[in-house]
Amino acid sequence: MEFSTKYFYIAILILVVSSCTTDENADKDEQKPTIDINYDEGFPQACSQVVRGETYSFKAMVSDNAELASYSLDIHHNFDHHTHDDQDGECSLDPKKTPTNPWIFIENYSIEGGLTNYEIGISLTIPHNIDTGDYHCSFSVIDETGWQSRTSVDIKIIE
Amino acid sequence: MLGVWLYFSLISITFAQDSFQIKGSVVNANTLQPIEGANIFGNGLFSTSSSTGTFTIKNVVEGTYSITISHIGYSSETVSIRVGPKMDTLKVYLRESVTELQDVEVNGKTHKREAQELATVSHTVSKDFLENNRENSLMQTLKNIPGVSTINIGSGQSKPVIRGLGFNRVVVVQNSIKHEAQQWGNDHGLEIDQYGVESVKIIKGPASLQYGSDAISGVVDIQASKLPGKNSFKGEVNMLGETNNDLLGVSTGIQGRKNKWFYRGRLTYRDYGDYKVPADRINYENYIFELHDNNLRNTAGKEADASLGIGFISGNIKSETNFSNVNAKNGFFANAHGLEVRSSSIDYDSSNRDIDLPYHKVNHFKITNNTTVGIGNHTLQLDLGYQNNHREELSEPVPHGYMPTPPDSKERIFDKNTYTLNIKDSFSPYQRHDVAAGVNLEYQDNNIGGWGFLIPAYNRFTIGAFAYDQFEVHQDLHLLGGLRYDYGALESKSHYDWYSSTVNNSDGSTSYIYLQRAKNKTLDFGNISASLGISYIHKNTTYKVNLGKSFRMPLANELASDGVNYHMYRYERGNLDLDPESSYQLDLDIDHTTTSFSFGASPFVNFFENFIYLNPTSNYYETLQIYEYTQSKVFRAGGEIRASTTLLKNLQLDASAEYVYSRQTSGPKQGFTLPFSPPLAGLFSASYQFKDFLFLGKPQVRADYRITAAQNEIVPPEEVTEGYQVLNMSFTAQMNLFKSAKPFDVRVKLNNVLNTHFYDHTSFYRLIDVPEPGRNLSISVTIPF
Repeated sequence: MEFSTKYFYIAILILVVSSCTTDENADKDEQKPTIDINYDEGFPQACSQVVRGETYSFKAMVSDNAELASYSLDIHHNFDHHTHDDQDGECSLDPKKTPTNPWIFIENYSIEGGLTNYEIGISLTIPHNIDTGDYHCSFSVIDETGWQSRTSVDIKIIE
Repeated sequence: MLGVWLYFSLISITFAQDSFQIKGSVVNANTLQPIEGANIFGNGLFSTSSSTGTFTIKNVVEGTYSITISHIGYSSETVSIRVGPKMDTLKVYLRESVTELQDVEVNGKTHKREAQELATVSHTVSKDFLENNRENSLMQTLKNIPGVSTINIGSGQSKPVIRGLGFNRVVVVQNSIKHEAQQWGNDHGLEIDQYGVESVKIIKGPASLQYGSDAISGVVDIQASKLPGKNSFKGEVNMLGETNNDLLGVSTGIQGRKNKWFYRGRLTYRDYGDYKVPADRINYENYIFELHDNNLRNTAGKEADASLGIGFISGNIKSETNFSNVNAKNGFFANAHGLEVRSSSIDYDSSNRDIDLPYHKVNHFKITNNTTVGIGNHTLQLDLGYQNNHREELSEPVPHGYMPTPPDSKERIFDKNTYTLNIKDSFSPYQRHDVAAGVNLEYQDNNIGGWGFLIPAYNRFTIGAFAYDQFEVHQDLHLLGGLRYDYGALESKSHYDWYSSTVNNSDGSTSYIYLQRAKNKTLDFGNISASLGISYIHKNTTYKVNLGKSFRMPLANELASDGVNYHMYRYERGNLDLDPESSYQLDLDIDHTTTSFSFGASPFVNFFENFIYLNPTSNYYETLQIYEYTQSKVFRAGGEIRASTTLLKNLQLDASAEYVYSRQTSGPKQGFTLPFSPPLAGLFSASYQFKDFLFLGKPQVRADYRITAAQNEIVPPEEVTEGYQVLNMSFTAQMNLFKSAKPFDVRVKLNNVLNTHFYDHTSFYRLIDVPEPGRNLSISVTIPF
């Protein structure tokens, strides 16, 4: 049987060329959003102390190259010292203890209108009956593509 | 495999005028019995060994001769000798295994020839390759094959990746039984003792036709060990030491055969400390982890494996039963578990060998039976398998979300039983047709435990029937076509949280609910696979074209997961409407091999109709990003090229390159690549074999230089990875310390010679910016007995 090897090489050449054709990289969003609490109104700052029963406005600036989609705030206790924040400087932690009625705040929010800059502002009253001590406060933000950024701060809840 | 040693010595003295005499003897070193009837020939010389194993060639003129010694059952070897006055005593060790029963076919085709005629693109890895490339896990050892890469979890564990796809898209087969564990898991590594492995067939491409569901990107088929020779016994001890992670390993294997009964056994133990990276600290996002002594905290591990096989061979029946158990315990990097940064009061730095929380332990027990019966024109193959995979992930109990502090450290427990039955009949109904037809049945029973939930418990039953025909158009042109149908049923079991969550109702009230994470649900799937290929051999060149359709059944976690993966900071949501993945692939392969030069290229084009992808969405669930299983169309193309040449007499040069292009062409991540895409990479090797030196036989030095391009193609949450270049060197030799004993094999290997700091895009620890291991010196000695 006659078999022309020429065709085979041509087929391979076509394959190689077709697989290396131009990329559509240009309009792809490959950037994470940013999240920042290190400005004057940003709250809480690392090692902040908050008082039970008081109301605070939790604030952070978020921005993205394309479109912001949603953000969240998570406040949970760090009585077991399971983690630490990602801010400069270390906060002094109380001794470890067993939680009896720790505060858990878990909430998600969406950002409407295709914004690229947004200031998170969540007004929260620290409940009266919760355990005082070391807490962890985490903000996170996701853009429309699915890129996420997080930041977390050590805070202390006092009487 | 050590095979039978053929001890061949040539003693030559006595000369008259200017003609000389070569004297020698051929001995089986294993039994020390002389071998009768060995042919000794070369440049007009010929002799046959006598019943005492000796031979003499008279009237040889002075000069250099190339002599070949051959005997049925041993592969022939060629030696170069100098004939003249004061001839040196020459010793040649021939290492070869005994041919397996199935190899002795009527037409006497070699494995190599069979592979050439088969239209599927495969690559068979020999024991020599495995020994010369030996790394810390089987898959790391196979990484030097173009198109094969790994996802590593620390220094001791890895997952197979073929042409950029891994997890459940690559099937691992051992003794014809699919290896079933928790392959879907990010931090799961393959539980196979690499020391028991003699030969591996790697199929790069769709292979569902023969291997069923999951063989969508490729197959790592660990071949059954060769049959020991009649009345033989042999064994080996291998010892290994490494400097980077202070590894100590020992593996010993024996095998023997009387006449009809044979057996083999192996014990392996490895213990290693934390591995070292060329960095003092890890910078992950805003966190800084200081490393003690460059040790990647808590990545120590240990592994203990045992296996035993018993077999019987007589007439047309061959049956072998294998028992194996692999047990491993591996620590995970202590500062970040997944993406989650952790503080702990554990003193991780007190020892680099202890394994503290978090760690995982896994035990894989397997029994397989492979029976082959020849009945007339038919060869019937029956494979039976039972496997139990028990895996536990342990970590310090920490409250998360609404979950209070769990009572113990048992975060996740998986216990999976898999029962397999394969029946296959191969026969030749007409001349030039080789037909195979068969049925594969598999039943999985997967149970879960622990306080963390990722995948539901499930039962899964699959059955597949296939038939294919290899048609010899003429002796150099072969066609292969086949069809397969699979049916699968998956029954997921319901699961509720062990703690209550706060739920805000629409009427403004608040309830505390034990949330349901998985439902009782039965799903079934059907799928057709097919393959059509052609192989054409023209002189030294083999051409192949193969078109295949493969599939993969959705997994329980893809269908039914509904839980929080705190370590990855994500909430994973399954989708009950997922269809089985189906993939079409066109493979080409050219191989041109002559004695001094070889070249090969294997490009492919691949299209997925509905690739199952864990898509990071832009929404939250309880402050964790929702990742949803979705399906999208995916186009992939790429391939491998390889070339090798023997430039000088003892200098061998090899070069290879691999590349995969992937694009999601529909769905929420249209335009993006797939996760864990390996970058363009090239590997250049040079090896030089020196003359025997003192007690060193066949001393060889090899340098491997790997050049990897940057990976700029990423999907959330990946990061761009810089390119890198890394140099590995090795020295291998046989040590003839004692004249009467078989030589030791020695290997000294220096990985990452320059202690280069680089990231591997497909490493599990890449996401938290952990570089690859630094310089490592390993010394391995294999002592045969």
